[in-house]
Amino acid sequence: MTVLPPTLSGAVYDRGYRPYQGPRGGRREATVALWRLSVRRALGLRRSWRQKVFPWSLLAITTVPAIVNVGIGYAIKDNPFEMSGFEFITYHEYVGVSTALLVFVALTAPDVVCPDRSQRVLPLLFSRPLTGIDYVVAKVGAIAFIVFGFGFVPHVVLFVGQMLVSDGALDYVTDNAEVLWQVPLAVAVLALYYAVVGVALASLTDRRIVGGVAILGVTLVTSAVAAIVAEAAGGDGSPLAILNILSLPLLVRDLIFFGHIDVQSDLSGVAGGGILAVGAYLVVLLSGLAVLIHRYREVDL
Amino acid sequence: MQLTPRPPMLRAADLTMSYAAGATALAGLTVDVPAGSVGLVGANGAGKTTLFRLMLGLMQPTSGWIEVTGRNVAADPVGIRSRLGYMPEHDCLPLDQTASDVVSTFGELAGLPTRAARQRASDVLDLVGLDEARFRPVGGFSTGMRQRTKLAQALVADPQLVLLDEPTAGLDPVGREEMLELVGRLAGFGISVILATHLLDDVQRVCEHVVMIDAGRLVLAGPIDQLMQTTGVMRVEVGGSADAVARLAGALAERGLSARAADTHNVDIETTARGEDSFDIVRDTVADLGLRLYSLSTRHRSLDDLFLQETRR
Repeated sequence: MTVLPPTLSGAVYDRGYRPYQGPRGGRREATVALWRLSVRRALGLRRSWRQKVFPWSLLAITTVPAIVNVGIGYAIKDNPFEMSGFEFITYHEYVGVSTALLVFVALTAPDVVCPDRSQRVLPLLFSRPLTGIDYVVAKVGAIAFIVFGFGFVPHVVLFVGQMLVSDGALDYVTDNAEVLWQVPLAVAVLALYYAVVGVALASLTDRRIVGGVAILGVTLVTSAVAAIVAEAAGGDGSPLAILNILSLPLLVRDLIFFGHIDVQSDLSGVAGGGILAVGAYLVVLLSGLAVLIHRYREVDL
Repeated sequence: MQLTPRPPMLRAADLTMSYAAGATALAGLTVDVPAGSVGLVGANGAGKTTLFRLMLGLMQPTSGWIEVTGRNVAADPVGIRSRLGYMPEHDCLPLDQTASDVVSTFGELAGLPTRAARQRASDVLDLVGLDEARFRPVGGFSTGMRQRTKLAQALVADPQLVLLDEPTAGLDPVGREEMLELVGRLAGFGISVILATHLLDDVQRVCEHVVMIDAGRLVLAGPIDQLMQTTGVMRVEVGGSADAVARLAGALAERGLSARAADTHNVDIETTARGEDSFDIVRDTVADLGLRLYSLSTRHRSLDDLFLQETRR
């Protein structure tokens, strides 16, 4: 028998179990972790390339108008004809480029909440230091954050681009100083609204496809109903225009930019239209939150 | 060396949980569960899941109080969960994520910093034998691998106590052995275990204590070794004549011992009345009758016997 010298005989190491003695967070850290994971999921990060295509394509699509606007501005910058102040799209209008964002919400909101229920992950999540409200905050916060980002980044591109192609960058900033608060506020109003409505509707079902269809269906149906009502009103504004729940954040946007409802809106001309719009916006927002809190108030193990 | 007594992992006093529909899941449960590995035994609907829910602070008891790892659950129902691990019976894993992502995710959700959670995920997946599969999606795992992933997520934040709900459910014999071996090692890591199951063999294999509940009430609780020793029944195997069993039972009855034929060769004798003297009486009686004594032993009851005996009272 060959006897190995002690140095060559080898050894089996039992790595055993190492207790964790580092820092531990509580509810806040758990909520932030869930928010971060939901953002990652919605953006397709740490997932296959197929999951990444849609969100990043969307960001590209929403940025196209800004790039076109800046490009045209640059092309005509030295034009002998007086075309200063050319705007292919205004900041106010740009906040309203919301269809792409709505489609994004219809696809991602169900994706961040439905599997938790259908795959019965919720009991595990709630065995961590999380409450139902924390869960809602994390999920709505994740979608709102991304919608805000995708709504806001194109504005930054537009603003910086316009500033650079303008005759005087400082003058451009001074002339458009108000959009520095109007745009983020209006985009935040839109993002929060879409996130709450989207996640609330998605929370009512276990199936992603059903959730997505529900989000698009509700917005399209209410838009159609509101359009019919407006048509029946004969071109005059009608308070029933608030039935179009897709338009409510855009009405609030009008108030942020102009201080009144846009004249092109179906609610234009209605007495107290601004208050009506804000009230309807808040009612929908709070109803969505109530649905969410109810859905995640208690989870069965 | 004198060992420091470990504090109870679970203390409950007069714990009652009634649902709005009128059903009472727990009815005045009072129990002290020591640290270590404890089997929570009860039939379906006995109140095991309700007890877990109360321990995790997911609902408030109708009356009574409950303390887990030395902390009153009512005082901090959410914070208590940061030092508890929970492994549900049912499928509960996000199927499109890798085992590493799943386990580190639940580490972060338990409050661990991201880097620490990833490191711990790697460690515990190694511990449960999934080190080579950790970058594969959970959806492609076998039942045994999923169970081990569930155990890993329960352990990732280094809990003081893990609540395991039927951890061997659906496993083949090899998978069951591996799971029980893992669960049996946890107490050695300083992690207490409460193993809820209706498989009493599992409890007997890996637990030091048992808590039996039925219809929301405590049936029996104590160290398994002690409970197994208190059968009070001796089994005697005799031969030498066709009616040996009947003759022995009759003769023992005349000498004050309650005996009954268990089968054609064995007699079960209650020893509680006469204590240690019972052995001498049996030996002498067998000799007086001229029978052959093949074996004489204290009969150890299984947990199944205990459970059936206690729940039928």
